[in-house]
Amino acid sequence: MIPLNINKKEYQLDLKGHETLLEVLRDQLGLTGTKTACEESECGTCTVLVKGKAVLSCITLAANCAGREITTIEGLADGEQLHPVQQAFIDHGAVQCGFCIPGMIMSSKALLDKNPEPTQEEMEYALDGNLCRCACYLKIFDAIRAAGKEMKAAKSL
Amino acid sequence: MVTSIKKTFSKKYVNPVGKSVPRIDGKGIVTGQTKYAFDVGFPNMLVGKMIRSPHPHARIISIDTSRAEKFHGVRAIITAKDTDGIKFGSNEYFFPHTVDQMAIESEKVRYVGDELGAVAAVDEETALEALNLIDVQYEILPAVVDVQEAMKPGAPQIHESLNNIAVILPVNFGNPDRALKEADYVREDLFFAPAAHMAALEPHVCVGQWETFSNKVTLWASSQAPFKCREALAKTLKLDLNDVRVIKMAVGGGFGGKLEMLPMDFAACLLSKKAGGLPVKICCNREEEFLATRRKHGMIYKLKSGVKKDGTLVAITGEVIADGGAYCSYGPTVLAAAIMRIFMVYKIQHFRMTGYRVYTNTPISGAMRGFGGVQAGFAVESHMDMLAEGIGMDPIAFRLKNITTPNMVTINKMVLTTNGLRECIDKAIAASDWYNKRGKQKHLCRGIGIGIAADVMGSKMYKSHESAGSIVKVEEDGSVYLFTGAADTGQGSNTVLSQITAQELGVSYSRIRCKSGDTEITPFDTGSFASRVTFISGNATLLAARDAKKQILAIVAEELKLNADDLDIQAEEVICLKDRSVLMSFDKALELCYAFNYGKQIIGRGSYNPKTTPIDFRTGEGNVSGSYGFEAQIAEVEVNKETGEVNILKLWDAHDIGKAINPQSVEGQIEGSLAMGLGYTFMENLRFDNKGRPANGNFANYRLPRSIGTPPIECIMVETDDPNGPFGAKGMGEAALLPTAAAIANAIYDAVGIRLKELPFTPDKIIQALKEKEHLETTAGSHASR
Repeated sequence: MIPLNINKKEYQLDLKGHETLLEVLRDQLGLTGTKTACEESECGTCTVLVKGKAVLSCITLAANCAGREITTIEGLADGEQLHPVQQAFIDHGAVQCGFCIPGMIMSSKALLDKNPEPTQEEMEYALDGNLCRCACYLKIFDAIRAAGKEMKAAKSL
Repeated sequence: MVTSIKKTFSKKYVNPVGKSVPRIDGKGIVTGQTKYAFDVGFPNMLVGKMIRSPHPHARIISIDTSRAEKFHGVRAIITAKDTDGIKFGSNEYFFPHTVDQMAIESEKVRYVGDELGAVAAVDEETALEALNLIDVQYEILPAVVDVQEAMKPGAPQIHESLNNIAVILPVNFGNPDRALKEADYVREDLFFAPAAHMAALEPHVCVGQWETFSNKVTLWASSQAPFKCREALAKTLKLDLNDVRVIKMAVGGGFGGKLEMLPMDFAACLLSKKAGGLPVKICCNREEEFLATRRKHGMIYKLKSGVKKDGTLVAITGEVIADGGAYCSYGPTVLAAAIMRIFMVYKIQHFRMTGYRVYTNTPISGAMRGFGGVQAGFAVESHMDMLAEGIGMDPIAFRLKNITTPNMVTINKMVLTTNGLRECIDKAIAASDWYNKRGKQKHLCRGIGIGIAADVMGSKMYKSHESAGSIVKVEEDGSVYLFTGAADTGQGSNTVLSQITAQELGVSYSRIRCKSGDTEITPFDTGSFASRVTFISGNATLLAARDAKKQILAIVAEELKLNADDLDIQAEEVICLKDRSVLMSFDKALELCYAFNYGKQIIGRGSYNPKTTPIDFRTGEGNVSGSYGFEAQIAEVEVNKETGEVNILKLWDAHDIGKAINPQSVEGQIEGSLAMGLGYTFMENLRFDNKGRPANGNFANYRLPRSIGTPPIECIMVETDDPNGPFGAKGMGEAALLPTAAAIANAIYDAVGIRLKELPFTPDKIIQALKEKEHLETTAGSHASR
């Protein structure tokens, strides 16, 4: 049995060596908020956070995440309170079909945790791995800027 | 006793039309709680996989599934012998002979990926292993991949027809030969627009279940048109329409690729029947997405037109060859749209174009956002700039002289009501500072270019009607349920339709709940395509909300002994229109409706079918849409002559949207369309190898626009308040990508003087064109010096 800490909950899972984090999240634990669109590390849709870093769950072996803090889209809100990034995505119309959004939000959060005031270039590079075919990129940038301000203000309280 | 209102609703969003209210499904999406078909699962659910042809063209001699059937974990296998062999297609109303695809092919396969059957097993691994145990004997036939080769006499014959040209579409008006003779300037240009892919992030995925004892089929689908999917399923499965229920889940993007039933939808249901009613999930992987769903037509677009010295466009002639792939799908009407859009944009009396929709042994071309208009927009708008240059006229002045106007009937009988094209051009050139830039930044290798376009909102392509229906149910607790057949595929139609409901009913948007696209629960709707939902489904929803309001006001009038015609509900209050006095709150009015003595359920209904006439394909005449949308787009570019790279400095899109129901959503559609247009201009090109397989069918090799390099975009909304639109609104989900490639091509020409006629504009093509230009200039220079 391998211990995984997902969204602050402890799981003891019987994992096969080849199982990816994506498979474990979606197929074993029913955490279907994390999506995938290619399963070959090209689209960013499956992005989750491992120890605060954005990783592609489709190419991350679940067993390698033992003992590390894993956060998925389901673990971002604080009770009924959306995370500032989630709220900003709604407020700025950064959502169309929404399929890329869980991954997009996780990449954005990873960026903002390090750097709440990213430049345009920093945002573009941080999200380069996340495809959005509806191409909400401009509105996503707006959302990130706004969320960053919110997160910075919350920190300084 | 009066039932008390249980819920309290925020009044934050009264009068929501024209406001950027948050998406009705926003919280579900950003928390991952929204369920897509991709996420649907059931206990004992089986996993299905399609048996696909490895050959581009072959006769099926035999299929032996016996080894696979015995394989541990396999629960069902279907091949053509399990089916009724019924063909399906999407243009059966206009072109019955193009209904040419079987859900499971029985005699021949016509492209690599063509479906011969399907397997259901306890898990994906088992299903994939079972595929390897199926033995198919083929007689391999010669294949043809190139569209021009496929048109030649003696080319391998793909279907049982005279040749590979599935449809010839001649469109003739006036006397173009005479008009060309009388023109002062005539030029001919040949353009090439390649195949591309919708590449929606959510793959095609479905769960089918056949309740074998009650003979009831349910499909949980990722669909843009659940009612069309139901029709095709019922037809091919030989069931009654109401034996089939298609439930549209949240859809992770469609862009035209999810308009039709695919063989996998059929297979999931039939596998379920064979497996005794267990649900079966089939999900395409990305390779299958590129290979065996739908793609955009590659088109060869030839134009020969004539103009007078004063800039009057006298004749347009030409030819369009559309690479259709193995089956017809929506192809014939895509081809028609690629030709007939010209009439919405330019006043023209003499016209002749012939379209050819051609079979090849490649993946099936269908509808993709823009519906032929992207390929046409590139060709026509590039050609117009060249015609203007040929007579030494400014491209803006040339367009202003020839564009369509409000309240006119085009040569092919399209009825244009409001038409903001002129205003769009004026606003786009003002915002972009056109006249201070055009031709004046060559020293910086910078240029500016324009493209204009028009689009329909609805397309008269579904049998004899294209109606939408809505139901607005006002509950005892004050909540309002909107049931619409429209399919929100991510564009936000549930939000827009909910805004229309709230506005017309006179209540806050926060009261509205929306259920869309479930064929057993919601009224009929043809689906999300042709930018029709805001306009057609919006009108149906408006009528349903109006009906519900009328029912409430009838009760209030009876109670207060007033005339219902004098009453209205506005901003959550029932008012008397005579003196604007407030009679009671909306909640109070509802209490009354549901009070003991009235007990009146409030169920409003609306049905809308635009007043249109289908195109008569013998004459090319018809009025396909209840209104038409217009736009002007300007691109400013900087060309790096060393690397061949083009930097987009800014894009402007001035768009006649009638009325922006949700401005933020309109911006989202424009920005997304432009990005898709940029993708098609610079990188998207679905190539095929000698077996007709996608040569770059994955996200590593099929490049899509990403966050890096997204240019600034200025959206200018032109509100023409269309008399036929709900609150004056028009549809607008597709138009913004029609002229993007041409606006950029024209800007590149302005910057460095090269004319690009083949998409996409990759750096190597730009370098090559610059070299050719330099070579021509040197030769011309040396001639002059001699």
